[in-house]
Amino acid sequence: MANPILQVENLQICVRKKPGVLILRGVSFHVNAGETLAIVGESGCGKSMTSLAIMGLLPDAVEKLSGTIRFKGRELPIADNRAMRKVRAAEIGMVFQEPMAALDPLYPVGKQVLEVIEEHEKLPREMAWARVIDLLTKVDLPNPETLAWSYPHKLSGGQLQRVVIAMALACNPDVLIADEPTTALDVTVQAQIMRLLKRLQRDTGVAIVLITHNLGLVAHTADRVMVMYAGNKAEEAPTRDLFLSPRHPYTRGLLDATPNPERASAQGGVLREIPGTVPSIADPMSGCRFAPRCGNASELCRARFPEPTIEGAHGYACHHPGTDARV
Amino acid sequence: MKPIRRRFPWAFLAKRVAYGALAMLVIAIINFFLLKLAPGDAAEALAGQAGTADPVYIAQLRAQFGLDQPLLSQLWAFVVRLATLDLGYSYVFNERVSVLIFSRMPATLMLMGAAIVIAVIGGIVFGVTAARYANRWPDRVISFVALLLYGTPPYWIGLMMILIFAVTLGWTPTSGMENVLAFNTGWDRVVDIAHHLILPALAQSIFYLAIYIRLVRAGMLEVLSLDFIRVARAKGISERRLSYRHALRNAVLPLVTVVGTNVGNFLGGAVLTETVFSWPGVGRLMFDAMFQRDLNLLLSILVLSSFFVIVANLVVDLLYAIINPTVELK
Amino acid sequence: MDRVKSLASAILRDWMLLLGLLLLATVFFMAATAPFFFPQPPDTMMGPPLQWPGQYPGAPLGTDGLGRNILAGLFYGAQISLLVGFASVTVAMVFGILVGAFAGYYGGWIDNLLMRVTELFQTIPQFMLAIVVVAVLGPSIQVIIFSLAVVSWPAIARLVRGEFMVLREKAYVQGCIVVGMSDRRIIFTQILPNAMSGVTVMSTIMIATAILMESALSFLGFGDPNVTTWGTMIGMGKNNLRDAWYIMTIPGIALLLTALALNLVGDGLNDYLNPRLRSQRGQ
Ligand SMILES: Nc1ncnc2c1ncn2[C@@H]1O[C@H](COP(=O)(O)OP(=O)(O)OP(=O)(O)O)[C@@H](O)[C@H]1O
Ligand code: SF4
Ligand SMILES: [Mg+2]
Repeated sequence: MANPILQVENLQICVRKKPGVLILRGVSFHVNAGETLAIVGESGCGKSMTSLAIMGLLPDAVEKLSGTIRFKGRELPIADNRAMRKVRAAEIGMVFQEPMAALDPLYPVGKQVLEVIEEHEKLPREMAWARVIDLLTKVDLPNPETLAWSYPHKLSGGQLQRVVIAMALACNPDVLIADEPTTALDVTVQAQIMRLLKRLQRDTGVAIVLITHNLGLVAHTADRVMVMYAGNKAEEAPTRDLFLSPRHPYTRGLLDATPNPERASAQGGVLREIPGTVPSIADPMSGCRFAPRCGNASELCRARFPEPTIEGAHGYACHHPGTDARV
Repeated sequence: MKPIRRRFPWAFLAKRVAYGALAMLVIAIINFFLLKLAPGDAAEALAGQAGTADPVYIAQLRAQFGLDQPLLSQLWAFVVRLATLDLGYSYVFNERVSVLIFSRMPATLMLMGAAIVIAVIGGIVFGVTAARYANRWPDRVISFVALLLYGTPPYWIGLMMILIFAVTLGWTPTSGMENVLAFNTGWDRVVDIAHHLILPALAQSIFYLAIYIRLVRAGMLEVLSLDFIRVARAKGISERRLSYRHALRNAVLPLVTVVGTNVGNFLGGAVLTETVFSWPGVGRLMFDAMFQRDLNLLLSILVLSSFFVIVANLVVDLLYAIINPTVELK
Repeated sequence: MDRVKSLASAILRDWMLLLGLLLLATVFFMAATAPFFFPQPPDTMMGPPLQWPGQYPGAPLGTDGLGRNILAGLFYGAQISLLVGFASVTVAMVFGILVGAFAGYYGGWIDNLLMRVTELFQTIPQFMLAIVVVAVLGPSIQVIIFSLAVVSWPAIARLVRGEFMVLREKAYVQGCIVVGMSDRRIIFTQILPNAMSGVTVMSTIMIATAILMESALSFLGFGDPNVTTWGTMIGMGKNNLRDAWYIMTIPGIALLLTALALNLVGDGLNDYLNPRLRSQRGQ
C-alpha cells in the first residue's frame, strides 16, 4: 500500500557559506501517493525551509549542505532553477500562508491561473482559458467567468486562497505542499478551505503535505504526522498512533499543551509553548537539542545525539522515550 | 474570454478640470502680484526694461493693463486676458505673444519627449540591471555613476557633449534644430532633425536618468522581495518573465508618477538646454525674453508652462489608473 | 556621547559618507581662505590670457580669456555657492517647516488649503519661476537666495506635513494634548524635533540642487553681476569652447564635486538617522 512519491533523505540546510549554522540538521521523511502528511513544530523549527527546499525555492541566503530529495524515484536538482521550473506546479504545487499578498496586484486573477497552464502545457488559448474557468469552479468560487477578470484587491482572503489553490492544482501535480494555508484566514473560512482541500484530494488523488500549528486540523485531516524540533525530525507516526501514544517528550509536551486535540480548533487551535526557548541555529550542541527543556534529559542526552528508533510506522529520535499511552 | 471594461472616470475628470481652472486662476493672481512687486510703475517695468522706453508703447501698455484702474479691476482684466489667451504684443519680437509661444511649443515638446523617453528607458534598463546584481560590481558601478550624474550641472554636461561629440569627434551638429540651408524635405528632414536632437535630448535627460535609475533599482529590490514573486516562482515561470512581467511592471508604477511630477522641471530645464544648443523652443524664447527684459513675455511663458504642467499631470494620472488597476479615480 | 561614537564609526564604515565630508570640507576651506590666498579680487587680470593649466606659474589652473586666474575664481566662487546654497535652503526650511507643521498638525481645511497652495507652487516650473523672480526684482545675491527659497520650500513643507501627520497620532503627543499643553509648544518642542531627521537629509540634498540652480542662473547671465561664480565662469568659458575648453571644464568639475559631496553626505546622514531604511542601500 505504501507507495512513496516524495522521499527526503538526510536533508541538511545551512546559512550560505556557513556550514556550521544549520537550519535543517538531517531530516528524512517520505510522502505516499494520495495521503496527507502533516508537519508540525514550533515556529522557526524549519518547516517552511523544508517545503521551500523541495520546491527549489530556498532563499539566496540559504543553501543545501547535503541530502537528497527524490520525486517518483529520481533526484530533484533543487539548486538548478531551470530544471526545477519544470517540476514546480507541474508535479509539485505549493500554497502559501498569506493569500492577500500571494497574487500580483496588476493582473486579473484568471490570467494568473492561466499563466501556470501556459507555462507547462502547450494548449490552445481557448482551451487553457476553459480550464481556468473549470478550475475556479472546482474551488467553489462564485461566477467564475466574471471573477476571472477581477483584480486581486477585489477579492476576500478566502477567495484569494481558493485562487492560489486553483493555481497550484492547475496542472494536476502529484503533491501539494500547503504551508500554513489557513493561518491568515478567520476560523469559518479556515474550515471551508480545509474541506475544499480534502475534497480536491479525493477527486484528484493529490498527496498533501500540510504544514500547520493547528493540532485540531492535524487530527481531522492528516494520515500521518511528522513533528519537527529545531531542525530535526523528533517523531513521525500515523496520526492515531501519535495522538494516542506519543513517544518523544517534545511531542508529549505539545499534546499536553493542547488537552483535547479534537477541540483544539475551537480553543483557538494554536500550539501552546513549552517552557524554555529553542536553541539558536548557530549553537553547535552535540547532544539532543531538546535536552535543555526536557524533563527526561540525562547525561547521555546532553552528550550524544539520539539516533532515530523505528517501530513499524512509528519513528522517534530520543534516548528515553515515554511509553505510557495517553487516554 | 473578454475582459470587463472599466467605465471612463468622467466625475474624476470634471473634478480635476475644475481644480485645474482654479489653480490657473491662482497662478495668474500670483503672477499679477509678482508684476506689482517690480520696482516702479508696472508699465515702465514692462516696457522700460525692454529697452524701448518709447512713450507711445508705455501709454499703450498702461491702457492694455488698465493700470489707471483700481487694483481689483486690474486683476480682473489681467485674468480675463489670460483666459482669452490675449497675452499682448511683444515689441521686442514684433509678434503677438500667444503666437510667439505656440510657434515655439512643438520644438520644446519634441526635445522634452525625447529626453523623457531616454531617461525612462535608460532608467529602467540600468535600474533593473543594478537590482539584478544588487551589491555586486555592476550595481556599484551603475549606482555610483548615477550619483555622479545626479550632481552634474545639466548645462555643463551639454557643453561637454558638444565639446566631445560635436567639436572633437564631429559626430553630431553643435547646435540648432535642423540644417536650414540644406532645404531638406520629407524623410531627409526627419533624419536631419533627429541628428540635431540627439545631443540636447541626452543632455536634458541626464539628471532624470540618474533619478530614475535609483528609483527603479529600489523599486525592483522591493518588489522582488514581495510574497507574490515567490508564489509566481512556485508556478514554474521563467526568471525573465518574472522580472519583466511581474516585478518590473510593479516597480515602474512609482516611476510614472515621478515622471508626471517632473514635467515642470523638464520645461524649466529646457531654458538651459535650449540656450546651450540654440534649440528654437520656448526655453530659448524665455532666455531671449529675459535677455531683452521683455517681462510680459516672460510672465506669459511662465503661465502657459504652468498650464501645460497641469494638463500633463492630469494625463499622467489617467495613464496611471490605466496601468494600475488598483487605483480608483475619484 | 554614544551618538557621537556611533556617528564616528558610521563615518569610518561608510567610505562614501567620508568622501562626501572630505569634499565638503575642501569647499568650505576654499571659501574661507579665498581672500588669504588671493588678496586681489577674482575678476582682476592676473596674467596673460588663455594660459593652459600648468603653463603659467602665477595661475596653476590657467587663466581665462581675460587673463583672470581660474584658481582664484574657484576659491571665490565657492563662497557664493555655499552662501546661496545654505542661505536659500535655510529660508526654505523655515517657511516649509511652518507650512508643513501647521498643515500636518491641524489637518482638516487648514491642511487642505496649505497643501493645495504647496502643490500649486510645485506646478509652476521651478527654474522658470526663479528666472521670473530675478527678472522682476533684479539680479542680486539676496534676490537669488529669495528666488531659490521660493522654489524650494514646497518639497520641505510636504515632507514635514507627512511626518507631522504620523507623529501627531503617537501616544506621547496625544498625552501632551490631554494634559493641555499649548499647540505651539507641542508643535515646536514635542513633534518638530522628531521630524527633523528627515528634514535634515532632504535639506542637505536640496542645498546641492540650489547650488546647481544658482550656477545655472549665473551661467545664463542672470546672476549678480558683481560677483564671480562658478556658473559665470562656465558661461564665459563657453566662448572658448574650441580653443580653451579647460576654462569651462574646471568650474564644472568643482560644481559636480560639490553637488556630489552634498549628496553623499545626505545619503550617509539618511543611513545614520533612519537606520530602518538602511537595507534599501544594501548591507
Ligand atoms: N534568509 C534566511 N537566512 C538565514 N536564516 C534563515 C533565513 N530564513 C529563515 N532562516 C532560519 O531558518 C529557520 C527555519 O525557518 P522556517 O521559516 O523554516 O521556520 P518555520 O518552521 O516555517 O516557522 P514558522 O512556523 O514561523 O513558519 C529559522 O530559525 C530562521 O532563523
Ligand atoms: S533524547 Fe533525552 S533530552 Fe532529548 S528528548 Fe529524549 S529524553 Fe529528552
Ligand atoms: Mg513557516
